[in-house]
Amino acid sequence: MFGKKRKKQCSDPVVQQLITMVGESEVLYLKEELIAYECDGYTMSKGMPRAVVFVNNTEQVSEVVKLLNKEKVPFIARGAGTGLSGGATPFGGEVIISLVRMKKMLHLDLENRKAVIEPGYVNLKLTQSISDKGYYYAPDPSSQYACTVGGNVAENAGGAHCLKYGVTTNHILGLEIVLPTGEIVEIGDDGIPDHPGYDLLGLLTGSEGTLGIVTKITVKVLKNPEDKKTVLAYYDDINDASQSVSDIISTGIIPAALEMMDSIAIEGVESAAYPVGHPSDIAAFLLIEVDGISAGIDDQINEILTVCKNNNVRKVKVAKDEAERGLWWANRKTGFGAMGTISPDYLVQDGVIPRTRLPEVLGEIAEISIKYKLRIANIFHAGDGNLHPLILFDASIPGQSERASKAGSECLKVCADVGGSITGEHGVGIEKSAEMRFIFSEEEVAAQTNIRAVFNPENLLNPGKLFPQPGRCVEVKKEPEKVEV
Amino acid sequence: MISPSLEGILPKEQMRYNNEEKHLLGNGGIQIIEAYSEEDISKVLAFSNKYGKTVNVISGGTKRGYGGLIEQADILLSLAKYKGIVEHSVGDLTMTVRPGTTLKEISDELGNYGQRVALDTSWPEIATIGGIVSSNDSGAKRLLYGSVRDLVIGTRIVYPDGRVIRTGGKVVKNVAGYDMNKLFVGSMGTLGVISEITIKLRPLPKYEGLSLLHFPQGNEQAIRAFTVLLLDSKMEPVSLEILNPAITEKMTGKHHYTLAIAFEDRENAVLYQENWVKEHLPIGAEHSVLHEEEARQWWAKFQHLGPNGHHDDENDTYTQAALKIGSNNLDVLINVKAAVELAKVFHVVVEAHGGVGHGILRVYVKGFPEDIVTYIKALRKKVEEKRGYVVCTHLPFKLRETVGVWGEKPGYFALLEGIKRTNDPNRILNRQRFVGGI
Ligand SMILES: Cc1cc2nc3c(=O)[nH]c(=O)nc-3n(C[C@H](O)[C@H](O)[C@H](O)COP(=O)(O)OP(=O)(O)OC[C@H]3O[C@@H](n4cnc5c(N)ncnc54)[C@H](O)[C@@H]3O)c2cc1C
Repeated sequence: MFGKKRKKQCSDPVVQQLITMVGESEVLYLKEELIAYECDGYTMSKGMPRAVVFVNNTEQVSEVVKLLNKEKVPFIARGAGTGLSGGATPFGGEVIISLVRMKKMLHLDLENRKAVIEPGYVNLKLTQSISDKGYYYAPDPSSQYACTVGGNVAENAGGAHCLKYGVTTNHILGLEIVLPTGEIVEIGDDGIPDHPGYDLLGLLTGSEGTLGIVTKITVKVLKNPEDKKTVLAYYDDINDASQSVSDIISTGIIPAALEMMDSIAIEGVESAAYPVGHPSDIAAFLLIEVDGISAGIDDQINEILTVCKNNNVRKVKVAKDEAERGLWWANRKTGFGAMGTISPDYLVQDGVIPRTRLPEVLGEIAEISIKYKLRIANIFHAGDGNLHPLILFDASIPGQSERASKAGSECLKVCADVGGSITGEHGVGIEKSAEMRFIFSEEEVAAQTNIRAVFNPENLLNPGKLFPQPGRCVEVKKEPEKVEV
Repeated sequence: MISPSLEGILPKEQMRYNNEEKHLLGNGGIQIIEAYSEEDISKVLAFSNKYGKTVNVISGGTKRGYGGLIEQADILLSLAKYKGIVEHSVGDLTMTVRPGTTLKEISDELGNYGQRVALDTSWPEIATIGGIVSSNDSGAKRLLYGSVRDLVIGTRIVYPDGRVIRTGGKVVKNVAGYDMNKLFVGSMGTLGVISEITIKLRPLPKYEGLSLLHFPQGNEQAIRAFTVLLLDSKMEPVSLEILNPAITEKMTGKHHYTLAIAFEDRENAVLYQENWVKEHLPIGAEHSVLHEEEARQWWAKFQHLGPNGHHDDENDTYTQAALKIGSNNLDVLINVKAAVELAKVFHVVVEAHGGVGHGILRVYVKGFPEDIVTYIKALRKKVEEKRGYVVCTHLPFKLRETVGVWGEKPGYFALLEGIKRTNDPNRILNRQRFVGGI
């Protein structure tokens, strides 16, 4: 990577050992090299890592981890760094283990509908590499062109098409992990279902890199649907759009995707790279996709059109070809980044609510916007009630970052208060660890950190993430237990 | 008589001394306690934890023969009366239920709203949702709809010390904290007692069809080729279940290997897919189709195959066993064949069915105890050659030790033990019911 000889010699003994282990070119330790690793896609918290080490295979991960464990140096696994909650962000002094070089497909078994890949494999590449045979990998985060499947496993990533097909955890059949001790463990035996024992696959998926480093993944792959149709519906009133969402679900249709964007979000995407020509004066649009057996799709589309019309839709249309459909999706999937065209900075939130509470919650988010004098755009997975309020601010104006953070937290409180969750797919990370208290009691947090102690007893792997610091009064202490596997 | 130490914990009418003869399936208890509420569960567990009493948990009892090396614990805690729907949010397609509610009770209620829980597990009028979740039971239609772990979005768990801990939530998408729901699905009640479950629902299908393909020559190659073709097509079967001749005979009167291929969709889409099947029919295969009520009745009958711990009859001349075999999807065909062939060698009678697209095979065995034991051992050896596993989901207590319900401990057993120790340090709950004697 940094081929030319470095001027400064590194005096850090841990870094020296890492270099001996994996080679000079595979370790970053100069400040200017480390800056890129100060944070992930969540930029409001930053910390300088001690070093970044690129690993090439499971054995190397194990060796590196053993060393760091011996030296009691905290460490963090990192994929593409697109995380939106600070999961891969150091507090300062951690060694980052980057998995991006581990990006091979190890095995493809279409008859049994599975693929075995290394963790650095990029999400979209997986689908691209099997699409010629008519298959795809279902979870499709909007960052799929960049994010790694390892990162997806750690965050239990979702995406627009998870409404019908489920999130990452529903597609993971097996994992190889390196425990914080350096031991290598194989779980799920390459995809044989329901392996006897506690569901460690389910526990590890979404554990935000705090239980083990994923070094190999067996995923389920699906056959492409025979047909799909996509509808775009423009509304003058956001409540009509929300009501349409509930009504579509009530008719018994499970759309492949059911997305919503409000007027501020539309302003953003229309001035970014993939404008569709949405009218500038609408309150919201719905992007609805139905897929499956061709013979059953027209019926469903007709029912959807009826629902939209019954809810005062201004205009509704079905994509006439793949090019139009592709444009609508590009417009949607680049939605977050598009906010950069209308605001210097933005903070993405990720609350979940029962979808029947949409109108009420969107109303409250609008109140929060007024209260904090910050514009809030909404781009979200309406079908499963997963909101993404995007709080627009300007970090160069003193006080705005703090206001944005507070507004974000308040949005999550609203979600929690209607019986929802503080995160549907982006994870807790650094960002939302305090907000965990909106939905879990101290004891419920302790029930989880106690499980962490089984895997990560000394909390060397990604410390400080995911959980709030225990409250002083109810601190639940557990003897950390060493696990010999 | 109630043991004095338990007095005052719950009203007398909820507790009784177990006067029965020892149960063929074990997993009993000296005191039987009926819980009527979460608080009851909590009181019983807190008491047991404090005084080192062991607790077995039961509801419908259909899985009483599934795991367990203790004939009688100190307490048998029954949740059968802790039932009912707490909340059904029709528009959100979610439902919260108490553990003692049977699958049938749930389905009946949801049917009124055109919805269902997408679980087609056995004995739905006896099996409770708590038991189904704890044992991670599943049916043929998991091929398309997934299994329990894909459906449970939240729980309330009474921990062994009596505290109530919530996992997950009530929304369909949620990554806040660890996915603790998963720990309790399939944990055989060894980590806590589930006192409430929130599940994702689905709309009832608009139209149901079932294509039955019979293979009079039992032609393995033809069956395999056809399933590969179907799985590689764009059809969306809900089930692709292979039935051995004995089960087919029970279900349809014909003694052939059979593929049961269900489609559930709009009527047009179902008929179109059935037509695809007809057009690709393997040579020599016979074919029949059932629709709507007929199809539903067929599946209802299918849900009543195999032994059921609730009324396993001790006087039955033969012993019964049930096995769950996991393998690579297509190895189900090899394993079903092996199950049938080995049955001849070991003089047992078997019924077997398995999902070629989902990798789970069920084998129901009848015979003399010693034959069953040798049969299971031989079949396990065969299945393990291809990295599969055999778990005994029903077996008389006396045979469980000899056979090994769960097979070998996994390499990461220390992690499982660590989790058990974390949740249930005194090992009071369903002791020795699970993998490696956990
Ligand atoms: C524009 C944009 C759009 C997005 N859209 C979506 C979306 O639609 N849905 C969604 O769910 N997310 C979305 N995200 C968030 C993000 O892309 C996902 O969380 C993704 O899964 C992160 O993958 P990554 O490879 O970048 O992981 P990183 O950011 O590098 O790491 C994320 C976490 O995973 C851990 N980790 C990474 N690799 C491993 C490993 N091999 N073993 C153990 N732990 C590991 C890290 O320690 C960290 O805690 C979006 C992000 C951006 C920037």
